[in-house]
Amino acid sequence: MLAEVLIQLVVVVGILLPISLALFVGRERLVRTRSEWRTRLKTAAPTIAVLLVVLLINRFARQRAPRLSREIGFHLTASFYNIEGEFILLFQSIATPETTAYFSSIYVYGYVFLIVFPVLAYFTLPDTRMFRRLLTAYALNYVIGLVLYIFVIAYGPRNVMPHEVAETMLFENKPQVQYLTREVNSNTNVFPSLHTSLSATVATFAAITRSTFPKWFPVAVALAASVAISTMFLGIHWGIDVVAGMLLAALCVVLSDRLVGRWSVSELLGDRLEQFEDRIPWQE
Amino acid sequence: MNWNPSPPDDGVSRRSFLAAGVTGATLATSGCIDRVQSVVDQGGDEQFSLSITTVPADADRQNVRIARRLEANLEKVGIDVSLDMRSQSELLEAVLIEHDFDCYVGRHPADYDPDFLYEALHSTYANEAGWQNPFGFTNMAFDTHLEHQRRTDGDERKRHVEAVLTGLARAKPFDPICIPEEHRVARANRFDGWDEGHLATRHGYLGLEPAAGVDRLHALVTDSRITRNLNPLSATFRNRGTTIDLLYDSLGTEHGGDVQPWLAESWDIAETTAESDSEMADGEATRTVTVTLREGCHFHDGEPVTAADVAFTYKFLNDTSWGRAPVRSPAPRYRGRADVIETVSIDGDYEVTITASGGREAIERAFTVPVLPRHVWLELIDQHATGGDFTAPQGRWAVVSGDNIPPIGSGPFEFESRSEDESLVLTRFEDHFTLRDGVDLPEPTVDEVRFSVDPSSNSSITRIEDGGADVTATMLSPHSLPRVPDSSDLERLRSPSRTFYHLGFNVRNAPFSNPHVRRAITQLIDKEGIVTDVFYGNATPVATPVSDEWVPERLQWDGDDPVTPFAGADGDLNVEAAKVAFERAGFRYDDNGRLLGGY
Repeated sequence: MLAEVLIQLVVVVGILLPISLALFVGRERLVRTRSEWRTRLKTAAPTIAVLLVVLLINRFARQRAPRLSREIGFHLTASFYNIEGEFILLFQSIATPETTAYFSSIYVYGYVFLIVFPVLAYFTLPDTRMFRRLLTAYALNYVIGLVLYIFVIAYGPRNVMPHEVAETMLFENKPQVQYLTREVNSNTNVFPSLHTSLSATVATFAAITRSTFPKWFPVAVALAASVAISTMFLGIHWGIDVVAGMLLAALCVVLSDRLVGRWSVSELLGDRLEQFEDRIPWQE
Repeated sequence: MNWNPSPPDDGVSRRSFLAAGVTGATLATSGCIDRVQSVVDQGGDEQFSLSITTVPADADRQNVRIARRLEANLEKVGIDVSLDMRSQSELLEAVLIEHDFDCYVGRHPADYDPDFLYEALHSTYANEAGWQNPFGFTNMAFDTHLEHQRRTDGDERKRHVEAVLTGLARAKPFDPICIPEEHRVARANRFDGWDEGHLATRHGYLGLEPAAGVDRLHALVTDSRITRNLNPLSATFRNRGTTIDLLYDSLGTEHGGDVQPWLAESWDIAETTAESDSEMADGEATRTVTVTLREGCHFHDGEPVTAADVAFTYKFLNDTSWGRAPVRSPAPRYRGRADVIETVSIDGDYEVTITASGGREAIERAFTVPVLPRHVWLELIDQHATGGDFTAPQGRWAVVSGDNIPPIGSGPFEFESRSEDESLVLTRFEDHFTLRDGVDLPEPTVDEVRFSVDPSSNSSITRIEDGGADVTATMLSPHSLPRVPDSSDLERLRSPSRTFYHLGFNVRNAPFSNPHVRRAITQLIDKEGIVTDVFYGNATPVATPVSDEWVPERLQWDGDDPVTPFAGADGDLNVEAAKVAFERAGFRYDDNGRLLGGY
């Protein structure tokens, strides 16, 4: 059940991460991080705090949001279906047991790896700006996504054309994954695709930092593209959700550039922050 | 393929309006813009458009598949269709309470007795919110037969039921599509006696024989509504009311098609129609029924169950505002059943005398409504019926719809806890009369019944197989049936079904007020094909919404619907023939093959 699925996820990502760190980041940066991690954490602390708060709000709001959504949201399933019809069934033409297995794994494991790895990778850079921008972009994705989820009530293609996507449908082949997905989402939260927007965010950052992590760039792009396709291939999202996800990603990357470094917490709080920092455990 | 951008001559179409909604331009104008009413008031130059409301596949895969097959055929005959997806409770809200729909595909809870058609179709209820006449259907001839089948028993009743069924098959306020087989799966070696009762009724959970050391029953449901609201009168959160039957007792209980005394020790229904002195003002004959209650029963809060509670229940179902609102506010559930009961007078703590305007069968059906604790519900009315300008919007007001109603009944199980979208836990009510010596009725044999919400039929089967639960309380979806492994650890359960899939029309609005339009639309439904492709053969196509013994000869399924056969063969629609049916109904086509409004 839930525990089983979670353990699998942790194991797979737990294996992928060290391998990728060795491959894409390199020993030198890791060694340097070992001696500098405290100062880097200190610089990035406000951003980390913001992201954690956003994740907490998100967690809490996903429980409450459906109720609010029912009050003020717009039912748009019919509109999406009217606009794009059976477009996503195009992806069914590449359906084989192999592609189904590939995209299912990408949707669950590939996606989690894709958004966790850059957090570690950018933390190994001496300049924490990229690290902070990434976290800021993640936070923005979640905040804007949540607001859209409240306003837009729509069911994904799997709920409208269950039979046509049955062969590739993730929950059909691995029903136990639903124990995980229902913890994080409700079936009316399809617009935009946060899988797509977070993956596209990572891919865009990979493009920005391609001179620093040249080998990561093509991998990130390939994975992000696979995630976006998987959401449609598996019948979870409409094409419209994926497009919206990409636009959201672009917006979040641009905003992260404008926002990061704009306010300095230490200037705002001055001495008080230093007193506060003395009490933070990692100062030991 | 349905990749179908809006036609160029659509003007400012609904599509572009909706697309604007996507971008947020109209975010402030409306709360729901998808549920488009039919467009027919444009002098006949607009395309005939309609919306089919149904539930997502997560809730019921068959509904949306039937809806999409209908959608495809409607589009072939030139109708502009939009598919409106709602959660189960939202669908019921739109259909039963708001009457805001064109047509819908859903599963009707039906009942063990065709008397449910009275509630479903009688004109009296056309303007009420709830399970009573959601279609808004009004027809004098129907009313007459519906009333007569109520007042009579035996062969005479059967004739009137046949008349109703024949009329229904012609007039089509709704069209029954098929009766699904009910399959469930249980872990073997945990409980015996699954076949003693239907798992959609209280008897499915009573009288089970647990193996040694088993004291909890863990059942899986895929519908989370019972974890959010346990109001026995809510029309939108109840399906067949199984949990309500566990929490509440009724005077009688239906088991295998017969009603036997339950909370009532016995009842005596006068054989002959009473003399003229007890006739109602409008001249309707009545019968007198004496009901004797079991003594010493209690509600879960310790208060005794008395004749006053029984009298309260029937009066309250007739007006849930208890006379405080300017107009009566009948309950949105049980309305048709309780309507047979005209008056209830209290003759001591454990005896009531009832005058009823129905035959034995209709009266006994009225005895299956839950007996509500007077003290609890009067307090609720006091709480909510406040202010000088108090109104109790029928079917909607807090007392009949709210989710904060104390779930206190006198039933075999009492409420323990619920966790939204996760679980509902009931525990055995130790004081229940079935546990007494000398009472030979099925009793609660486990300490606890836990209903856990599971994401789907497929995952439920795996969970039972892995020993994570005892039984699937929700019937399995036909597409999951092949996943049930042949294993000695599992027991397959099959029960007769009374529910049916159907297409319901809102006959209040044109063009669905026109029976010819409804018939033309129902002829686009390939019931035989639906049973084969959507249910994989695990259903029976039907022309009537009742079980076998009530189906008149001429309405028997003979490979096609005997009254409105599918306009095609072997699943392929004969588009020209189908179009003719619409033309006969007074509609016309434009040069692009689009069906025009016709008015």
